Amino acid sequence: MKKVMMGTEAAALGAKLARVQVVSGYPITPQTVIVENLADIIGRSELKAKYMPVESEHSAMASCIGASLTGARAFTATSSQGLAYMHEMLHYAAGVRVPVVMVNCNRALASPWNLYCDHTDSLAQRDTGWGQYYCADAQDVLDSILIAYNVAEQAFLPIMINMDAFYLTHTSELVDVPDQKVVDIFLPSYQPSSKLDVDDPKTFGNVCGADLFTSIKYRRHCDTLSLEKVWDRAATRFCDLFNRLHPTVEAYQTEDADVCVIGIGTASGAMRLAVDRLREEGLKVGSLRLAMMRPFPREGFEEAIANVRHLIVIDRDVSFGAEGIVAQELKAILFDRHGDVKLTSFIAGVGGKDISVETIVPMVQQAISGAGTAVEAGTTLWADVLP
Amino acid sequence: MEFEKKIISASDLPIMPSTIGTMAWNRTGDWRYLTPAVANKLAPCTWDCPAAVPISEYLNALRNGHVERGLKLLLANNPLPRLTGRLCYHPCQAKCVRRKIDRAISIQQIERFLADLGTDVTIEKNSKTDKKVAVIGSGPLGLSCAFYLGCWGCQVVVLDPRDQAGGALVDLSPEKVDPQLLVNEIGRLIRLADIKLETGVAVDFDRPGEVVSKADLVILDPTGLSEDFSVPAGAVAFNPFADKTVDSDIIAAKLPQNLKPFKAPMIAHYIGAGRLMARKAFDRLVMPSGQLRLAAPNPHLSRQMVNIEDIRIEHFLSSDLAERAIAKHGTWEWERALQEAECCLSCGTCNLCLQCVSFCPDASIRLDEDETAVTVDLDHCKGCGICAYECPRGVITMETISA
Repeated sequence: MKKVMMGTEAAALGAKLARVQVVSGYPITPQTVIVENLADIIGRSELKAKYMPVESEHSAMASCIGASLTGARAFTATSSQGLAYMHEMLHYAAGVRVPVVMVNCNRALASPWNLYCDHTDSLAQRDTGWGQYYCADAQDVLDSILIAYNVAEQAFLPIMINMDAFYLTHTSELVDVPDQKVVDIFLPSYQPSSKLDVDDPKTFGNVCGADLFTSIKYRRHCDTLSLEKVWDRAATRFCDLFNRLHPTVEAYQTEDADVCVIGIGTASGAMRLAVDRLREEGLKVGSLRLAMMRPFPREGFEEAIANVRHLIVIDRDVSFGAEGIVAQELKAILFDRHGDVKLTSFIAGVGGKDISVETIVPMVQQAISGAGTAVEAGTTLWADVLP
Repeated sequence: MEFEKKIISASDLPIMPSTIGTMAWNRTGDWRYLTPAVANKLAPCTWDCPAAVPISEYLNALRNGHVERGLKLLLANNPLPRLTGRLCYHPCQAKCVRRKIDRAISIQQIERFLADLGTDVTIEKNSKTDKKVAVIGSGPLGLSCAFYLGCWGCQVVVLDPRDQAGGALVDLSPEKVDPQLLVNEIGRLIRLADIKLETGVAVDFDRPGEVVSKADLVILDPTGLSEDFSVPAGAVAFNPFADKTVDSDIIAAKLPQNLKPFKAPMIAHYIGAGRLMARKAFDRLVMPSGQLRLAAPNPHLSRQMVNIEDIRIEHFLSSDLAERAIAKHGTWEWERALQEAECCLSCGTCNLCLQCVSFCPDASIRLDEDETAVTVDLDHCKGCGICAYECPRGVITMETISA
């Protein structure tokens, strides 16, 4: 059944279809609609779940961890400052291996105060051990929540579904709503290998010496690396059931491309349009959307850019004093190929500035010709700055 | 992290890091700098009682429905409760912490009510020794001294030259003390302590009778003898409040200036002086009293007073306080006395409210299996002090002992 809905509604619907059992949340723009919708859904008894209106995001994540440890499927959603406030608990969730799924609405971090799209909030959490997925559209939001629970519960790792503030959260789109019965086949109830149980007492997250600590972290690292494959397998299965593919890497016209424009989130749509425009001008350009950022989808990425000679990365985020975070990730992966690949990195669209065909085309031209309006700063070029 | 079983390969590790069983192996007790000490302390009322009557303890017995135990506690620690219940200026009530909430517990009324019962109870006593004591004069000091020595096992005879026992108490007007009540009260004292009383006996030290000549110790009671009583030449004046030991066979109790002449409202001071006198006499006659578990040990000598700052008034304000009706003196009924006793905050005495147990973040203070006390698990207590802070009665204090 197809319905018109905002991205936030799609997120709430995704959680409902996943039959989450505990929702713990704290409101923050532009996420609030998600937890409000879920409160309504639970209040109307359309979903049998415990709704916890906690006093902070830190507690929201703490209670999701606790709920998940009892064997419940737990969900929360946040954004920007709220995500930053959760930071400590994010590490804990991944360490104690709870398959919590959280939606983060990518919004700029203060100061100055800004409510609009920016990826620094979630990318600053990339080392917490969470799987990170960046959505392209509202359908992607709904579907990826279902896939994320499937993957998280196989790997016993938490997954963060990221959606661009306002471009996704508050834009209405046509969404194909999956049938609950088929969702139940794709996503059976959560059966943890180990849980808090008074009849079988265990202690979670207790003190641990250096010897076991190293091995535990090593194992978690390996399991996190495997998420790329687990996701792609789950996405294939999802595609079999619903006929929609959500891969970790989404390539567009890269097979014969010399130049590839790379980004995350909703700007990938504009990138595809820019590719079409530039191809009309005779440039062999492709584009790549990195849907998964953690673990880095190394295999899919390397395959997609195997023939590309020039990568142009547009970061909607910055690691101050270094460069765009996606650019850093790509440079690390490309280390062995640095002799035959050129990478130009831009920072654009931070704080909600539009990344459109009209801004992407000049960036590509500047990357190729070296002439343009983006300003050089260290190893990166900043677009849209005042002269 | 399964500590029961040796882990030899990474595949032995559970996916979700967890310990099978409890965390008891982690002896967090050695993180501790301060140690919670759970020890009952004297309530301010008891601390300020000149006769050292354990007031909060007998009130606690009453509120728990143990009337006989409360009465025995009172009688074992106050030989003349019907008189103190009428005459004493009750400094206990002036120090009652309950005053911070509404008004002091009517301790004197409860004491009087309770003392008017109990004509046939018995109290705990030490077994008899062969030590003989003659107490000359049956005023409140002499009777108190004789009472305790009797309870602790001495063979005591009280001699009084007058026909009626009671010394200075006999001279009080009948409005203050009913003569028959005085006779009955002294009779109960004699019976409880298992001692003898002989009145109308001429005491002449030049020709001592059998009682005096066979006594290991003779004690003269200034509250029981007239001013013109001729103290024998060998008698040594002895102030019971002084830090001295008895080193003579005939001692004449010497009172400080504020207790001379006899003042009826200060009766508890004379009773307390008699108790101290008895203790020192016992130390000379039998053995240092610290070596024997005495019936009715003086709580003043063994326990600290609770720190009034540690009584958490707010705890009591938030709990349901008993309604407190006002009753006129002498019209108290059972129900009224028990109701008043229920209003006692039990300052310094653990009544197993378990506030500490519910607040301990480490489950390291627990109710004992027999449910009579709480005990700190020193293997795991980190010494955070929350129990001491939360204890509404000041029973738990943080001490700098390493245990």
